[in-house]
Amino acid sequence: MNAETDHQELVAFHLTGDRSGGHLTDVADLELRPVLFAGYGDLTRLRYDYPLLLAENTDGEDAVCTLSGIFDRILNRIAPEGIEGEFARKQLLGLEREIRTAVAGGAEGALSDMWRQAGERMLAEAGETTGKDLADVLSRAEAALAVDGQVVDCDGETPGRVLRHLWMAERRQKNRRLRHRLDKLILGLKAILRTDFAKSEAGRSADQLKSAMGGAFEAAFDFDAMSNILPRTSPDASLPEDRRLRLLATLKVLETQRFVPPSELLGQTGGEAPYDFVFEGCGAAMAALEERLPELVALTKALSVAELEMENRFKPLRHAQYFENFDQNSLRPEDLAQFPSYLVLSAEDGSATTAVERAKAVELLSSGLPIKVLVQTDDLLDQGSVAPGQIALGGNNLHFANMAVGINSAYVFQSTSAGVYRLRDRIIRGLDYAGPALFSIFSGGAGVNGSRTSYLAAAAAAESRGFPAFVFDPAAGPDWASRFSIANNPQTETDWPEHDFSYEMEHHQRVDERYNFTFVDFVAADRRYAAHLAGVANGGAGNGLMPAGEYLQRNPDERQDSVPYVLMVDGDEVLRKIVVGETLIRAAEQCGESWRALQELGGVHNSHAARLLESERRLWEEEKQLELDALRAQAEAASAAPATAPAPLSPGPNVADASVPAAVEEVEEEAQDAPAMNPDEPWIETPRCTTCNECTELNNQMFAYNENQQAYLLDLDAGTFKEMVEAAETCQVSIIHPGKPRNPKEPNLEELIKRAAPFI
Amino acid sequence: MPTPVTDRVLRSNEENFTIEDFKSSEPRWCTGCGNNAILTALQRLCRDEKLLPEKTVFVSGIGCSSRFPHYMNTYGFHGLHGRALPIAEGIKMARPDLNIFVNTGDGDCCSIGTAHWIHAIRYNMNMTVLMHDNQLYGLTKNQVSPTSPQGLSSNTTPRGSYLEPLNPLSVTLGITNASFVAQAADWIPEVLHAIISTAFRHQGFSFVRILQRCPEYVPTMFDTWINDPDKTLMLHHQNGMQIPDSLNGVYKNREEHDPLNLDRAREIAAMTDSAPVGILYHNKETPRYDDIRDPDTLITADTIETAVNGEFDKYTIWPDT
Repeated sequence: MNAETDHQELVAFHLTGDRSGGHLTDVADLELRPVLFAGYGDLTRLRYDYPLLLAENTDGEDAVCTLSGIFDRILNRIAPEGIEGEFARKQLLGLEREIRTAVAGGAEGALSDMWRQAGERMLAEAGETTGKDLADVLSRAEAALAVDGQVVDCDGETPGRVLRHLWMAERRQKNRRLRHRLDKLILGLKAILRTDFAKSEAGRSADQLKSAMGGAFEAAFDFDAMSNILPRTSPDASLPEDRRLRLLATLKVLETQRFVPPSELLGQTGGEAPYDFVFEGCGAAMAALEERLPELVALTKALSVAELEMENRFKPLRHAQYFENFDQNSLRPEDLAQFPSYLVLSAEDGSATTAVERAKAVELLSSGLPIKVLVQTDDLLDQGSVAPGQIALGGNNLHFANMAVGINSAYVFQSTSAGVYRLRDRIIRGLDYAGPALFSIFSGGAGVNGSRTSYLAAAAAAESRGFPAFVFDPAAGPDWASRFSIANNPQTETDWPEHDFSYEMEHHQRVDERYNFTFVDFVAADRRYAAHLAGVANGGAGNGLMPAGEYLQRNPDERQDSVPYVLMVDGDEVLRKIVVGETLIRAAEQCGESWRALQELGGVHNSHAARLLESERRLWEEEKQLELDALRAQAEAASAAPATAPAPLSPGPNVADASVPAAVEEVEEEAQDAPAMNPDEPWIETPRCTTCNECTELNNQMFAYNENQQAYLLDLDAGTFKEMVEAAETCQVSIIHPGKPRNPKEPNLEELIKRAAPFI
Repeated sequence: MPTPVTDRVLRSNEENFTIEDFKSSEPRWCTGCGNNAILTALQRLCRDEKLLPEKTVFVSGIGCSSRFPHYMNTYGFHGLHGRALPIAEGIKMARPDLNIFVNTGDGDCCSIGTAHWIHAIRYNMNMTVLMHDNQLYGLTKNQVSPTSPQGLSSNTTPRGSYLEPLNPLSVTLGITNASFVAQAADWIPEVLHAIISTAFRHQGFSFVRILQRCPEYVPTMFDTWINDPDKTLMLHHQNGMQIPDSLNGVYKNREEHDPLNLDRAREIAAMTDSAPVGILYHNKETPRYDDIRDPDTLITADTIETAVNGEFDKYTIWPDT
């Protein structure tokens, strides 16, 4: 086969999928994996984010932690650095691997149980001497283990379990806060009613007084006499009937609500069970929400009425009408945020992703209500939605998350399971957000993508831009730069992430390369798409081949006759060059387009910003050019002028003038400081008055206090110049300025003017 | 924090107060007394902060300044000599929802009440303390106090006092957990108002020493500072106090002082050539005893009954045992 024929065969396969030339092989049974993941064959030997621990009774980010993180903390405490801690470190890392292996093998349960079982296995395998030291290490480590909870591996159930766990932690906090508020208000209202009863006729009856005293000293009191005396010493001050009824009605709503569990403090038992807030579908959540809305309105109202009553600030004339008209339209997001949010998890049969469920989800997400919806994707290459001759990208859920961003008031979170731990703070923010939230998570599936583990499939989806991570947080700020983030994707600046990798040739030569992880690398690991791939048989020269990453970055007319390929490793860990069909390239191009759209939204290579920058740069250059031309013209004119010094039109800046600006500032300051008052007119520096009453006591018709209780001149005609001078003399802070006499006939003016002089 | 609905209801019907709403009986201080300026500043604060009179309490000890609660139309507690602070602390523990102000004099605070003062600083409970410092005992007709300047002639020191005065600012700044220390002067009312406003908003023990004139017994005590504004050092900072524009022409001796700089605050407090006015120290992160000891659980009628019975049981003599 000559080179031309060889290339012709490659082109034919690329365009038509025809392998009849005999030099290209089927790849369906090769168990292909992306070459950049070749080193991760056995995840049980790797310390990475899984398994996760869903920590019990823990709030915030610590509610989800990694097994490695837990062991790191223990190692820090009981295994000192260096040789001293070597034995403990080695044994504990072994214990961690033992647990990770058990979880990968399907073990489930609490960390404490797995810990114990793994420890027992290690002790059984250890010799007598080592066993004793090992037991000591295990015992000390167990004492340092501060958390417990369910251990979760990366699989199809992970998104639901993690989200539910974090939601439960958030709900616990809300329950605590609301329960505390309810208890406080119930106690407060009861105290008001109890006081009212104690003052009432029934409360002051002999029988009531007797029952309040207890039995020990009953005989020592005459309760009839006491009952007769009390009304006289304590006048009737019972509550108005309308207030008493309002208190009772409010109390009833607070005591019978079902949004948080009954109060242990108040010994509430019986009654109807509290509401559940977790639903398997959007329809059920919506129905429950609508059904509970009247109760929610009543409780919101009751909480506020009770608060106002407790503080004695409920004014019927001002507030009764408002609360009478209070209905579901009066509720605002901050009101709803007091109550638990609704969690909608995808149904196991995948109904959450059906068209009907999606329509309901859109309705929920647009409602502004605190509903948190998980939309889980198990198969990124959804066969059901494949159009003829095309590969559907990311299934419908991927597009659904993009569409949800358009709602603009819903929190939208998207990530693969591989990124869930690192993005748990963003999940918590979404759960805390007062409005609706959508969590679109790719689980990595259950091996449907052909990957050995869900974690690797999820990681490959994130790396290949097949399922990029992003967060849209409407509460983060007023603009897209604050709200939208793609920061948690690998190499956000590039189209396809690029990494170094090394391999060994037949004769042990080492080869180092840089290689892009493209969407094709992700799809090529899925044997369902083997028809679009072909291996280059031994002896095939592979002329005209081009790495898919480079191929995708070129325009179609720059690709010439090249044929794209990806590098994969097969089940025998052998590196393979795999030729890619045009259908997969089109799918990858579509994936790249979607990624670039996200980049623009996230502020990376934003075309609007680039255009603005270009136009600003052009304007700046034109401006500078004009300045330059003007300077040149000036210089030319100067060289042509006679050599006499021209008189300056205005003083220019030079060294000798350096003091000028300072002097100006001082003058300005003086001007600002000195109030322009006429020394002949009397006046008071009111802001400096100390309210000492000297002047007002002298003449309160002439001197008065303003709204800040500081003196001013009320009526100059209400007093004499003599009083004005005396006021100035007695003023403790000398802020009264008497001016000149208004009445020239006033006696002793000469002496008074002399006395007034220091205060002018 | 009220529920959002309550917040909306209250804001839509906000009550507006005037100074008159906070006035009670006519003050019986001497004409010209600096306490009048402090009273006005506090009434302005109550009006501006829209403090509910029934949610506000002024606590005092004994002395001229301690008559203060009588003149405020709020709750008040005219306590025992030197004991204003423990009373205020008790009120804060029982009723954390109240706005608490303490008025104490230099004798009340720095002499008989010193132990309470020191520990109240350390406890850093949320209250605003105004120490009216006229540098002598006025109510008992002119005796030296711990802050009287050396050489002051009085009924108890006819040949002049012998010791250097105690510096309340330096003392306060030397105590663990001091969180807000400021100095004001009654004759600069705009700054006095600005300082006590910041002090009130501080969540913790705000200690404001106010230099206060006594025209009756020491009429010239502060003349140096009043007649020569350059002897007053105005402290200002973006995180502290801004000097009102109306004073630009008068007080030109200024220093930009970061209220978190404790070392510089101590240096300023120790100044003798000029009187610093402003916020010397302000640390919002200082732990508060009332916050630390705030019980999570609510107290029910049963809890109270059990506790009271438990206390009584300690003193009960049971006939059959």
